[in-house]
Amino acid sequence: MKKHFPEILAPAGSLEKLKVAVLYGANAVYVGGQKFGLRTAADNFTLDELKEGVLFAHQRQAKVYVVLNSFLHDKDLAEIPDFIKFLSEIRVDAVIVSDLGVVKTVASLTNIPIHISTQASTLNVEAAKFWKSVGATRIVLGREVSVKEAGLIKREAQIEVEMFIHGSMCMAYSGNCVISNFTQGRDSNRGGCAHSCRFEYSLDLGLDSMEKKKAYFMSSKDLEGLRILPDFISEEIDSLKIEGRMKSHLYAGTMSKVYSEALSFYQENGHFLSEDLMSWEMELKKVSHRTYTQASLVKPAGPDSIFNERENSSDSEWQMVGKVLEASPKTGIVLEVRNAFNQGDTIEILPFNGKAVSIVANEITDIMMKPLSRTKPSTLIKLPFVDGVERWQLARQKV
Amino acid sequence: MKFVTYAQNLNDLNRIKNFGFNEVILGHIDFSRFGKLSDEEFYQLAERAHDLDLRVVFEWDVLMTEEKFHPLALRLPNLLKWIDVLRLQDPGAFEWSLNNTQLPLQFIAENGNHNLRGLQEWADYAHDRLERIILSLELPKNKIEEYCQQLKVPCELLGLGRILLFYTPRLLLTPLVEEKISYNQEIAAIGESEESPHKGFPIVENRHGTFMFHIKEFCVLDHHAELSAMGLSCLRFDLRWTDFSYLDAAMSVLKNEKSFEQFKMSFPQDLMKGFYLTNKTDVLFPKLKNHRLQNRQGDYIGEVIEAEKGSHLAIYVKNELGLKKSDRLKILHPKGEEFFINIYSLRNLALEDVEAVAGDSVAIIQYATGVWVKSHVFYA
Ligand code: SF4
Repeated sequence: MKKHFPEILAPAGSLEKLKVAVLYGANAVYVGGQKFGLRTAADNFTLDELKEGVLFAHQRQAKVYVVLNSFLHDKDLAEIPDFIKFLSEIRVDAVIVSDLGVVKTVASLTNIPIHISTQASTLNVEAAKFWKSVGATRIVLGREVSVKEAGLIKREAQIEVEMFIHGSMCMAYSGNCVISNFTQGRDSNRGGCAHSCRFEYSLDLGLDSMEKKKAYFMSSKDLEGLRILPDFISEEIDSLKIEGRMKSHLYAGTMSKVYSEALSFYQENGHFLSEDLMSWEMELKKVSHRTYTQASLVKPAGPDSIFNERENSSDSEWQMVGKVLEASPKTGIVLEVRNAFNQGDTIEILPFNGKAVSIVANEITDIMMKPLSRTKPSTLIKLPFVDGVERWQLARQKV
Repeated sequence: MKFVTYAQNLNDLNRIKNFGFNEVILGHIDFSRFGKLSDEEFYQLAERAHDLDLRVVFEWDVLMTEEKFHPLALRLPNLLKWIDVLRLQDPGAFEWSLNNTQLPLQFIAENGNHNLRGLQEWADYAHDRLERIILSLELPKNKIEEYCQQLKVPCELLGLGRILLFYTPRLLLTPLVEEKISYNQEIAAIGESEESPHKGFPIVENRHGTFMFHIKEFCVLDHHAELSAMGLSCLRFDLRWTDFSYLDAAMSVLKNEKSFEQFKMSFPQDLMKGFYLTNKTDVLFPKLKNHRLQNRQGDYIGEVIEAEKGSHLAIYVKNELGLKKSDRLKILHPKGEEFFINIYSLRNLALEDVEAVAGDSVAIIQYATGVWVKSHVFYA
């Protein structure tokens, strides 16, 4: 019998990131419009960009899902029909929603498939049956659900299931945290989360000693599920989601590349005993992250899933130095520089497939061909052409 | 207006009855987040409640994944004969109860569910089985009124009690205590953070996970007449964290025997109304948005990606119409200033002079004073 393989679903916080994610192998991307999503501060897509993004993705057999996953208030809901009609016209592949009112509104206006957001914290078979009966076609399960449970939910409720495989995690049951609402006046369920769970707290535990314990006790490590990819496959999970619409191009590209390459390897070889496993894991470490955990993918997340450290203490030793804007023997490699590097430095270009290409930047010029000894962020530079380097590929450097 | 509260022992039940309540919420240790009653204790209390003519509302508000949910649901039929109403939050528990029991249901819509359409749909879905909707604490009074008037199902609101801010199934305090005696042991803490303007968050860890509450308790007792006039049908008292005797004081306020000010002074915790008067938790959003980034509609061409003083501007042309030498440009500086320029030098990345540059490529034009990287470019 033919094996069922999940799609790799990558975050795209902007049109550029959508292109990066798709070119690096994501089978689908999720994006937000200027309203109705949970990433208020994100770049987000204009209507024109949504249209272009859908076209770009569809030309490459990738899907685009649009998030409408705020807990919408009446006034927000009143504004949504025009947007839904637009999404239908540009043929987005699904919308991701959290609330029954939005589900029904979407269903009454279009045939766009409806995915239930993780915000709805769908955790069990019965909940999945409920959402299916009101019109959902897929459930993005709560992060507390194990892969085994997800398989069962899919079989019993006869509905597509999507699970997070990678990224930052809300410590709370999604949709069940209103710290920001009540302490900062920002609705976390409409995109205003102030990340209070990442704060350091002093805790009076009523212990004998007068001393309070200081801890980042509510902060979660980041999810990483690469090694259990075979479990996702055997449980026939439909979609593997990477968190992070707010994250960088390098993140969107690396995650899409690593997970899609690992999945392709499994598809071709029927097993996961690849020498590349270690290198894929190394790649995941090259992107800024908190310490990784499998959280509840295998068994309920234990104390070792808590990230009891100050934020920004990432162990990533790599940074993105630029994005390839053009690469041909005629123009050379034109790089839009994000972080500075020096003449003589070794940088790596991340190809869409296969291992990173190392380049020693001996000859750097600006675009007017003036030699440079050091690059500057927000400038364009040229490097000699190297075979295999293509437009939209990302360049990184060990720091 | 009806009143309802939680009972944790026989004394609570007697008191509740004395105030003329006709129902009581019982929290079973396995089904209710803060429930403490074992099977035996539950039977005992439920029986006594029935003797007192109190309807037994069984709270099933623990959120659980399939591995826990399924076996627990199978236990529920054994408890059903003591239960008059099921009170549920998880759509799974709701669905299961709808299909596997005949009991009336109360739906806890406290998380999300901030639109009338959604609430109406919940009511329609359950047909005549839904007897009450528990509204969110985030609703302002005009919305409470609208929902009470528009929904065909009666509504309940918390009148007095803790505000739950955060709920996770993970045990977050266990790693901080030297010795935890048993799985059932509850750990309590008070937390504060330099990064938060508030100090003294009560935190509780029990077998169901970790819960953080607001430093103040929610109270709208002084608005009970208004709420009643709005059509609210039930007000809830949650005194599980305070002395149950405050129910007497609260009821005195409702009967106008005691002033609200007196009650407030005597209550051990500070009180707040939350968003009862107004909910402006979205007013900050426009400030969080990057307006420069939003402004990319209409005649938008693209963005300046390099500005080399005295030499050139590189524009990433995003518009599929591309850029022609004859185009006049409006350039919007990141700080909001506008410039209008004509193009007199247009080149591609190979530095060839061209008449036009296609969409999705880079155009190099002459430098224009005052233009920075990240400026947005429009057809003028
Ligand atoms: S504060 Fe933390 S737990 Fe709460 S919503 Fe934000 S990310 Fe989630």
